[in-house]
Amino acid sequence: MDMFLQVGHGMMDHCTRLIKEWKGGSVILSPRDLDDGQLKKLSKKIRRLDGNVLLDPQFYLPHSDHRRLSSHSYWPKSYATSGFWSGNDLETLISDLQSLNRDLGCADFLLPGLLALDIDSDWLDRQKAIINVANRLNDDEFNLISTVALSADSARSEEQIHTVLEGLEEWQVSGIYLVSEHPKGEYLSQDAIWLANILDLAAGARLKGKKVIIGYSSHQMLIAACASVSAIAAGTWMNVRSFPPEKFNQQYEDEVKHRATWYYCSQALSEYKVTFLDIAQKQGVLDVMKNSPDSGSDYAGVLFQGPQPTSIDFSEQSAFRHYLSTLHAQVKAARLSTFDQTVDQYKATLDNAEAILHQLQSAGVKGQQRDFSEIIDINRAALAVLCDTRGPLLRRYWDRLL
Amino acid sequence: MNLNLDWLAQVFPTISSLQPIGRGGQKIVFSGNHNRDGKVVLKLFHIFVDPERAIREVQAVQDIGSARVPKILEVGTTNAPFGDVMWVREQYVPGEDLRNILSRGKLKRNAILLLALQVLEVLAAAEKAGITHRDVKPENIRVDQNGNCWLLDFGIARHLRKESLTATADTFGLGTPGYAPPEQFRNRKPDIDARSDLFALGVTLYECAEGNNPFISEARDVGEVLRRVETVPLPPISRNIEETGAFRDLVLAMTRTKLDHRLPTAAEGYLWIKEICSKEALG
Repeated sequence: MDMFLQVGHGMMDHCTRLIKEWKGGSVILSPRDLDDGQLKKLSKKIRRLDGNVLLDPQFYLPHSDHRRLSSHSYWPKSYATSGFWSGNDLETLISDLQSLNRDLGCADFLLPGLLALDIDSDWLDRQKAIINVANRLNDDEFNLISTVALSADSARSEEQIHTVLEGLEEWQVSGIYLVSEHPKGEYLSQDAIWLANILDLAAGARLKGKKVIIGYSSHQMLIAACASVSAIAAGTWMNVRSFPPEKFNQQYEDEVKHRATWYYCSQALSEYKVTFLDIAQKQGVLDVMKNSPDSGSDYAGVLFQGPQPTSIDFSEQSAFRHYLSTLHAQVKAARLSTFDQTVDQYKATLDNAEAILHQLQSAGVKGQQRDFSEIIDINRAALAVLCDTRGPLLRRYWDRLL
Repeated sequence: MNLNLDWLAQVFPTISSLQPIGRGGQKIVFSGNHNRDGKVVLKLFHIFVDPERAIREVQAVQDIGSARVPKILEVGTTNAPFGDVMWVREQYVPGEDLRNILSRGKLKRNAILLLALQVLEVLAAAEKAGITHRDVKPENIRVDQNGNCWLLDFGIARHLRKESLTATADTFGLGTPGYAPPEQFRNRKPDIDARSDLFALGVTLYECAEGNNPFISEARDVGEVLRRVETVPLPPISRNIEETGAFRDLVLAMTRTKLDHRLPTAAEGYLWIKEICSKEALG
């Protein structure tokens, strides 16, 4: 499994730095957060570093009045539901996006996709219309990736997930870019059905020979390796590690105003405010929270060198880079050569995290809303469902799903 | 339809020793000795059966052209006192039907693997011909004296490339409760294909391994059987049929309730079982 960088607010420097360190990688550009000039500038830098770029057109809510989104030249000047889909507007949108993808040197063409409140015939018809127009205009220039954007309710419905899978059989695309709102807007989803369905959709698409990129992911999506997902994409702030559709509307308030610095303890699958590292030090369990040398990150090493952690200048920038580097290493190591090995390794990761969390909590060290304790059983439940429903076929075709 | 054996002997003078061996919803089946072909099966379709369905059964067998399906030797229509009766004379397979064998207990591992291999071979051939059997079950599998398996009775087979003979408005489709998958008994026609036969064969294989069909065992009525098929996944086979667990996986993949979770084609199933049997030096 690969990890892509999901661009959000203030991520340009992080992207260039990390892609350089990783000696390559992919970045999903965000027109919501970058103007046209920034898109081009960042794309150029990434490609110079042997990285790839993709463009998320973020056409989830076409009525959106988000200032920067609607400032992009591809964004329709006005959107009237009936006219857009029956006239030439769709063709203009795809054509403009195709040009932009070409200008940016995108590796694949992420097609626009509407947020599905329900998977109904309207949504399916529009997906098909987008794909048909894109195929007509594409002339084999790009691999086409269909955006499947799901509301929490539609993702929670097994029936709707299977309707998407049925539709997918007819879509002439190389893969899907799957984004889904978390139930109740939680950062880490506490809804096992939601997670099980996302994995079911991803595994089903993979078994149909499609590439699957799960966008707006956090470390909770390490489980996606068990569904042989091609890549997950994560970023800095919570709103690029989960998918809040409302952020594509003008009214959304960026969380940058509520900033705090969190340390990602990868072996506990949890994040902690640095003040809790002080407690850990006082209680003699700080070493338990220290990432191993092969964790892929040196950014947080200063926290474990002796002085009280809060006395150290552990910047927000370092915290983000630590999170992304560590997650990158975890993602890269998540898929093994067989389905069973991958599942067993993930189960062991959860078991290990559970033991560490128990030890830390006993010492009063808590991750608050970013603690993975309550998520462990959610992920175990979703994994059990995946193994029951898709296990036999994933086990058989694992080698073909690379 | 009551048939007098003397009358039959007159109508089919080339067949001696005619004896009834089965009676179903669509036909009465006899065995007898043909003066040229030896022991044969004679099927007489009830007069209320749509002749098109009888013709489709014959066509299905001919189109599949599998060595594991009894050959059609002759087809005709005869005038009976109660109307015209369509008949089919076909190859007789000496042996025993799987239901009888199962009544004595579970099958041995090699017999299960061979059954899976040979019936999947037929289903792969049927899939290639665009035909779905729709009634795979122990009663329709015959095991001959050499232990080889034959798939019988294509009476409700569906030609996917031809117009359906089952009314689309029917709430329930054809098939046998406890073996037919949800899409079949719910009569969701666009969803019925080789995967429906894979489901039924998977349940049959489970029954061979475990000695019972959990969808049917101790069910109060047909409604409960259908409810179980729709809501309770078939559990994994508990016996160790072969070392790798691949056979257990194959049966699970064949019997998932949701179509998208199921093995996608009979050809894939046949390839899979061939690999398993090859490792076990079988077949």
